[in-house]
Amino acid sequence: MLPLSLLKTAQNHPMLVELKNGETYNGNLVSCDNWMNINLKDVICTSRGLHSDHFFKNADWNIASTNSKVANPPAKMVGLMEHDIINIMCGLKAARELLLPKGQRGTTGHSGFGGRGRGGPPGNRGGMGGPPKWGGNMKKKQQQQ
Amino acid sequence: MPVPPRVTLMLEAAHEKLMVYLRDGRTLIGILRSVDQFANLVLHRTIERIHVGNHYGDIERGVFVIRGENVVLLGEVDESKDTSHLLKKVGIEEILEAQRVEQERVQEQEQLRAKFMKERGLQYTAEIGTDDMY
Repeated sequence: MLPLSLLKTAQNHPMLVELKNGETYNGNLVSCDNWMNINLKDVICTSRGLHSDHFFKNADWNIASTNSKVANPPAKMVGLMEHDIINIMCGLKAARELLLPKGQRGTTGHSGFGGRGRGGPPGNRGGMGGPPKWGGNMKKKQQQQ
Repeated sequence: MPVPPRVTLMLEAAHEKLMVYLRDGRTLIGILRSVDQFANLVLHRTIERIHVGNHYGDIERGVFVIRGENVVLLGEVDESKDTSHLLKKVGIEEILEAQRVEQERVQEQEQLRAKFMKERGLQYTAEIGTDDMY
């Protein structure tokens, strides 16, 4: 699961966001968008370092993406991600296959394509008029299907 | 969308224990779970390791989502290498105190340096500040 997807599934969960200037914002995540702008609710704001004993209690904070450094969601968020790692690894293997010269493809095994249950990397479809390496991959796919 | 080579290489490190060095000088060690095209990272079971001299201390942090622009470098941790004769692990309180003392000492030195230069009519600016190690 992408880092942004993790943040999106962490909505309504408590989170700590640290800014580039070292201030930490502890609150419930309301929303997060594609640019990693973060909206927090019921926030306690602390500044790191020398004045870490000063804190402020505020209602809502909207943190611009360029200002955030690190986000600390609760640990249980990772449990939601585990099954997506398998998809990422299959996609990686498929990507590596494409980079191999034509003769060596298929020697690395079929599990890269079969594991995902899809037809393989999307770039291969309909590309018959392209450079030779694409044609070689199409042949391999037809063998499996 | 083709995956840029740099991120493909980082995907190979998924599920590995990585050491990540941030721009603010912090060292985080955790298991890489995912990456995106900006090299934003998701680290699992992360510890923040503070080094002072040849002592170090660990603070448990849990899950971290790190914005890619804040990373200076990262690398795999080789657990087979034994550094117990070089570095000594101490408790959290001790290392935080040592860090505070070290920061004060460095600050004092910088102030002294700035004063020294000022007396000779020169302006002193630190080349690397503690805020941004980039």
